[in-house]
Amino acid sequence: MSGLELQLRLLWRRNAGLWSLFTLLAALLVVYAWLHPGLLSIAGVARFTQTWFPVALVALAQTLIMLAGGIDLSIGAMVSLGCVLAATLVGETATAAGLGIAAVVAIGATIGATTGAIVALLRLPAIIVTLAGSFLIAGAALLVMPRPGGSMPDWLSDALAGDRPTALAMLILLLIAWRVLQATPLGHAINAAGDNPQGAFRSGVDVPLARIATYALSGALASFAGVYVAAQTGAGDPVIGMPLTLDSITAAVLGGVGFLGGQGTLRGAIAGSLLLVILINVMFFLGFPPVAQYVAKGLIIVAAMAVRLLRAG
Amino acid sequence: MTPPVLATREVGKRFYDNVVLRGVGIEIRPGRVHALLGENGAGKSTLINLLSGVLQPDAGAILVDGQERRGLTPAEARRLGIAVVQQELSLAPHLSVAENIALGAMPRRGGFIDYGQLAHGAGQLCARLGLDVPLDLPVERLPLGQRQLIEIAKALWRRPRVLILDEPTSSLSAHEVRTLFGLVRALRATGVAVLYISHRLNEVLELCDWVTVLKDGVVTADQSLEGSDPKALVRLMVGREAGDLFPPRGTGGEGKLALAAHGLVGESLRGLDLELRYGEVLGLGGLLGQGQEETLRALYGDLPLRGGEIRVDGRTRRAASPGRSADAGIAYVPADRKREALLLPLPIRYNLVLPALRRLATHGLRRRVREAITAASLIREFAIKANDPRDAAQLLSGGNQQKIAIARWLPLSPRVLLLNDPTRGVDVETKREIYARLRRMADDGAAVLLLSSDTLELVHLCDRVAVQRDGRIVAELDRGRLSEEAIVRASLGMAA
Repeated sequence: MSGLELQLRLLWRRNAGLWSLFTLLAALLVVYAWLHPGLLSIAGVARFTQTWFPVALVALAQTLIMLAGGIDLSIGAMVSLGCVLAATLVGETATAAGLGIAAVVAIGATIGATTGAIVALLRLPAIIVTLAGSFLIAGAALLVMPRPGGSMPDWLSDALAGDRPTALAMLILLLIAWRVLQATPLGHAINAAGDNPQGAFRSGVDVPLARIATYALSGALASFAGVYVAAQTGAGDPVIGMPLTLDSITAAVLGGVGFLGGQGTLRGAIAGSLLLVILINVMFFLGFPPVAQYVAKGLIIVAAMAVRLLRAG
Repeated sequence: MTPPVLATREVGKRFYDNVVLRGVGIEIRPGRVHALLGENGAGKSTLINLLSGVLQPDAGAILVDGQERRGLTPAEARRLGIAVVQQELSLAPHLSVAENIALGAMPRRGGFIDYGQLAHGAGQLCARLGLDVPLDLPVERLPLGQRQLIEIAKALWRRPRVLILDEPTSSLSAHEVRTLFGLVRALRATGVAVLYISHRLNEVLELCDWVTVLKDGVVTADQSLEGSDPKALVRLMVGREAGDLFPPRGTGGEGKLALAAHGLVGESLRGLDLELRYGEVLGLGGLLGQGQEETLRALYGDLPLRGGEIRVDGRTRRAASPGRSADAGIAYVPADRKREALLLPLPIRYNLVLPALRRLATHGLRRRVREAITAASLIREFAIKANDPRDAAQLLSGGNQQKIAIARWLPLSPRVLLLNDPTRGVDVETKREIYARLRRMADDGAAVLLLSSDTLELVHLCDRVAVQRDGRIVAELDRGRLSEEAIVRASLGMAA
């Protein structure tokens, strides 16, 4: 077997479980385009990806952590913190804006790495550490900005969340970045750490480092989602990210990321987040009450598990 | 003589109050296959963990190439050329064969995984081990024996200078064992130092050059294996005359039929017939993975069947489940005691009365005193070495845990006992006690079905042996025809 053949076969196997999800997505997209023909234009695609983008980012953040066998309940709070920090730090000129965004993302990565270090080095349960973290980070967001305010430069809002499909381009870039990560020993270590932590450790894989890396990357992604939300709304809001924690878990689960780690793909998580957003949009166009959205989210998760059970059985 | 590549000097290790190793010195030299023998609980696993950096010693030193290494980590040990094949598998189940082999030591080119080198190297190793599997297959899909070989391939991947094999053959077939031995000899010829841990003495005698014996955490022998015989080795381990490992067989005539299976079809079973009588120990042998475990599970009601029938005391069983079987006096002792039988963090006492909780209770309420008395008598009867019955079961050695897995069924006075390789990875002394116990239960009228991977055990303990191959019983050997040779021949599908 040649190296290329091995790589392609591994790729094929990782995606094998996702075809039904992709098919369902395609069908829903058709329905959505039929209900809302405005989708089929560059501006339509741009606007649609804008509503989807923050969910996709947090789904990625959650997937990374779940792959290494953890979970992060502080993602929503991190989005809020990123949002208020962006509205405070991002300046008017291009240089100032760039530095501001870099600072926000760096803060997110640092907080994530700290959380990860606590989980990985002190061996505390991720669910409790990140629960505590979610309150601390949410508090920090309120400390930075007690009520919605601040501002983002108009040109930046226009560039990120205007009529151009910038969000889509960034998503594609992220997918490529993931592909690259998967081809590195670190990406492999993340999968192994989630699949059999003890075995990986005994094989000489630096499991704590892999875990910390996932939390740091996740913090960076979540805080960048905050920057994006700030650009969308033009201002900072200290509680805007809250619902995204559960959305991120939902999307990751829909995308086939196992709760026990080691399984799942990034494109699965992106597809999962897309499924979530389209369903909500479709229901909105069909005139369903907001209650139905919650019921639908619950039912989709149950259905996703049922599909997996049927396939395994 | 070549200087040792890996050695310990007066190492000691304790877990809380439990001293596991005391002043242990061992020297592992290049080009030598070094056996490490000892009963379970003698400290072998701990010593391996110290040598491979998983644990740190409390006293003494680990020496690599004569230099003391403090704070050795698994990653560092690997880098120094020390590779361990663990008894508990360290594979990542959802990752592929190739990715597991190179786990922790991915070949890279410019920061990326070098898939060409990975495919080439992993493919070559699989071929050397006689392993014909696709490199991209997730290892969870492989049977236990092949996963064990992947584990070995993983150790060889790093071209180790020291290869530590911890019970490597416990789940291998006879053919796979031969391939492994050939490989170990080839490694020895190239100057690799091998540390070989096994409970199978004939393997040790055949393969190894030198032996270190541990007993209760102390080295009791460190000598050449030349001219040793198995009896002498057993003496070194237990520190006294081995005597007879196996109890004398019963003299009673044929008992009544307890369980009868006819034409069972299901997972790994292709028309299996088996009859088990009261008062006998029936052995179930064969190569690994011929559906023996499924046979036991089917009889226990834990395997959905597509065809055939099972009769209990002559009556056809309709609905079957483990709960019903337990109520009917059928007990099952699984192979993986840690996962399927014991609740490791809970007290020894609780583990011992778990299956009998309902029987010991009155009006649905637990009777603590009665439970404590029952547990205490089981601990005495089975000679379970426990400081305090309230200790967690995980503090016990593997052999003692296995005794609990069997003993806990006794309060239910089972009429049928199904055992899945109960002496696998268990020390000689515990084996002897388990054998005596099983024989006594059969003498008391119980029907005992013993699945075993140890041919000696089948020959010397059992009244009859059924050999399973490809989901069917291919031979039934009664006492007159029972021999290791006959069992091996039947296992391999040769005419008896």
